[in-house]
Amino acid sequence: MQKITLGFASLALVLGVTPVLATDDPSAANATPEEVVTKVNEAVQYLKDKGLAGFSDFNNNKDARWVWKDSYVFVYSCRDNVMIAHPLRPDMVGKPILQMKDDKDHLLFQDMCKAGANKDGGWVEYWWPKPGEAKASRKISYVHSAEVSFKPDIQVGAGIYDDKMSVEDLNKMASQTKQPKKDAP
Amino acid sequence: MAEQKLGNPAVVGLAGFGLTTMVLQFHNVGWMPSIGPVVWLGLVFGGMAQLIAGLQEMKTGNNFGYCAFTSYGAFWIALALMLLGNKYDLFKASTEDVGFFLVAWTLFTAILWVGSLRIHGAMAFTFTTLLIGFILLDLAHFGYPGLTVVAGYELMICALAAWYMMARVILNEIYGKEILPAGKPWVS
Repeated sequence: MQKITLGFASLALVLGVTPVLATDDPSAANATPEEVVTKVNEAVQYLKDKGLAGFSDFNNNKDARWVWKDSYVFVYSCRDNVMIAHPLRPDMVGKPILQMKDDKDHLLFQDMCKAGANKDGGWVEYWWPKPGEAKASRKISYVHSAEVSFKPDIQVGAGIYDDKMSVEDLNKMASQTKQPKKDAP
Repeated sequence: MAEQKLGNPAVVGLAGFGLTTMVLQFHNVGWMPSIGPVVWLGLVFGGMAQLIAGLQEMKTGNNFGYCAFTSYGAFWIALALMLLGNKYDLFKASTEDVGFFLVAWTLFTAILWVGSLRIHGAMAFTFTTLLIGFILLDLAHFGYPGLTVVAGYELMICALAAWYMMARVILNEIYGKEILPAGKPWVS
């Protein structure tokens, strides 16, 4: 009996230690497209459940749920032309977004608004600095609309920093990850 | 004593109903970013004041006003508390849950709407716009969020119609003549 207990204890120890080791891997610092889609869908569901009162939870990052690795979830309204929540850039919250340009003089939110209007959301490519950096990197974000009581046209987004992945491949991936949900009983 | 003139509680009920409805639409169409004013007005004016006005209707013998003002007063208090509850994770209501709340109020409004048709034109118009507004908000909560904006403009008309009825009672009395007509009932 004692041996079994000891066995469980050592198993728990190994399981407990593994995540610590995993963070030593440098690639773990980059968010993956799958994580981004999962987080955005989670945020859409969160806002659907909590309504307007949920917006502030994205800004204060109270439970550290919406910021992970080098990515984060942001919330905006195209119709109202406003950034509603951005956990890393409080200076942008409440400010207009549609005329905002990235380093390549691109109106990034106009693309996001279009992609987010699709039923299954979509990926958008633009240039944006990584958290803590000043220089812009190529960023690809997944955006999706959210249903919120008494608030039409809310969109939620999160992105990855990557030089190679194409928007087309990512869109395929996003619609595939959504598929099983629909088939579930 | 018996000749003492009494006020008409409907003026307060219509004022609270119209004003709170109006301010919610300022939010729904996107002019007013925060829902804050709706919560507080919903508790105080659309809620408490209209509810008290509704209870006072009992003494006037007007069952329609008694039921309508008391119920819509309770509607605003419930809505405001529901928004507050979500903020503090207390009996949270999802978008769909709020949708079902609104569907129930739509059914209730449909009953009063039938009665309103036989009261006078202004009442029939107000309840028709209110019923349409509720239906649009129902749809907005079940897959067509964009309709919130349509409902917003439509319900502004409803709020103005309610104020028209309030203005009728007050201004016709002050000016001593019928400057604002009620209009013929839609159903006789």
